Amino acid sequence: MRKLQKLHNFMRKYPIKACLKNNTEVTIHPFEKADKENLLKFFRDLSEDDRLFLKEDVTKEEIIQRWIEELDYEKVFPLIAETKGKIIGNASIHFNKIGWSKHLAELRCVVARDFQKMGLGTLLMRELVLYAQEKGIEKIVAQMMDTQTGAQKAFQRIGFKKEAELTGFVSDLTGKKHNLIIMVNDVSELWKKMEDLLMDYDIKITG
Amino acid sequence: MKTVEIKIGGLGGQGVILAGMIIGKAATIYDNKHATLIQSFGPEARGSACSAQLIISDNKILYPYVTKPDILMVMSQEAFTKFYPEMNENGTLLIEDELVKVNNLKPGIKLYGISATRLAEELGRRLFLNIVMVGFFAAVTNLVSADAFRKAVADSVPKGTESMNLQAFEKGYAYGQKLIAETAKVT
Repeated sequence: MRKLQKLHNFMRKYPIKACLKNNTEVTIHPFEKADKENLLKFFRDLSEDDRLFLKEDVTKEEIIQRWIEELDYEKVFPLIAETKGKIIGNASIHFNKIGWSKHLAELRCVVARDFQKMGLGTLLMRELVLYAQEKGIEKIVAQMMDTQTGAQKAFQRIGFKKEAELTGFVSDLTGKKHNLIIMVNDVSELWKKMEDLLMDYDIKITG
Repeated sequence: MKTVEIKIGGLGGQGVILAGMIIGKAATIYDNKHATLIQSFGPEARGSACSAQLIISDNKILYPYVTKPDILMVMSQEAFTKFYPEMNENGTLLIEDELVKVNNLKPGIKLYGISATRLAEELGRRLFLNIVMVGFFAAVTNLVSADAFRKAVADSVPKGTESMNLQAFEKGYAYGQKLIAETAKVT
């Protein structure tokens, strides 16, 4: 019950407004049915290079329609970032409600080329990590291809570490094989680190 | 700003030293002031008395030890009993009011209390107690800008926990601001 209340409190904060490094004002809120056309346009406007590495062909209307029909924030929590009525970023966290990996969640994030390296991806991903923490998730996983070095750095910035590299495991939309990089953010470990930091015997001064 | 002597006291495991470090960082790195920090702790990681002594000033600090705290922030009864007699008679006393009961408050001392443990628990983790206290300290003392504190908090906690810690800071800060506004109305 307390957990539900906490999640309810978490959702109440949306929409939130933020300012990117280039002073663009963005609004961040959970994806809703009404965002369908806008989201479809966002994916269709992505450069081919960016779309190459997406798990699904999100330019297809039926894919977005399926997302809408299956919309359940307890299973998938998607956030979108908008500026002037246009979507410029989409990130989502996927939970396993049953089975042996229910302590895990998977994080995905896409930002429009013109708004990359401006802190938007970090902002969206931080929000979702926070949501996962509220839900008691222990580890958050992110998957990407070996050539997505920018994405790997972005995930590293918010505490993800490379856990595995599987050779020739995935193919991009052109069919070319790539190594799959699995990065993990051990959220339970984070809180252990926080507890260690509170141990008042000595402190490592950083920065 | 004149030189301000600060003492933070509590028990090991409450994050007393980290609170002191954040205040010092906010003042020096993010607000261009001078600060010194001296930490004192028992042999155990948890449960033993510990304290942080801070001096903040616009000028260079020539002597780093706190002799008569202008501000005392305490998170345990033991720390209150030990450090309260040393306080400046016109100083400011900040307490975690569910952990500390004040007796014989001297007339010149301004007392501000916050149930920081409860506010931290509302965020789901008791370990935010010290960050809630830092937010409360920021609002009540107004020695260093809130933005400098926010940067220092984000910079001092483990990667990935920044948002939650900043929420804890904001809880303490908002409570402190409200308390100051109410006090101003009364006086």
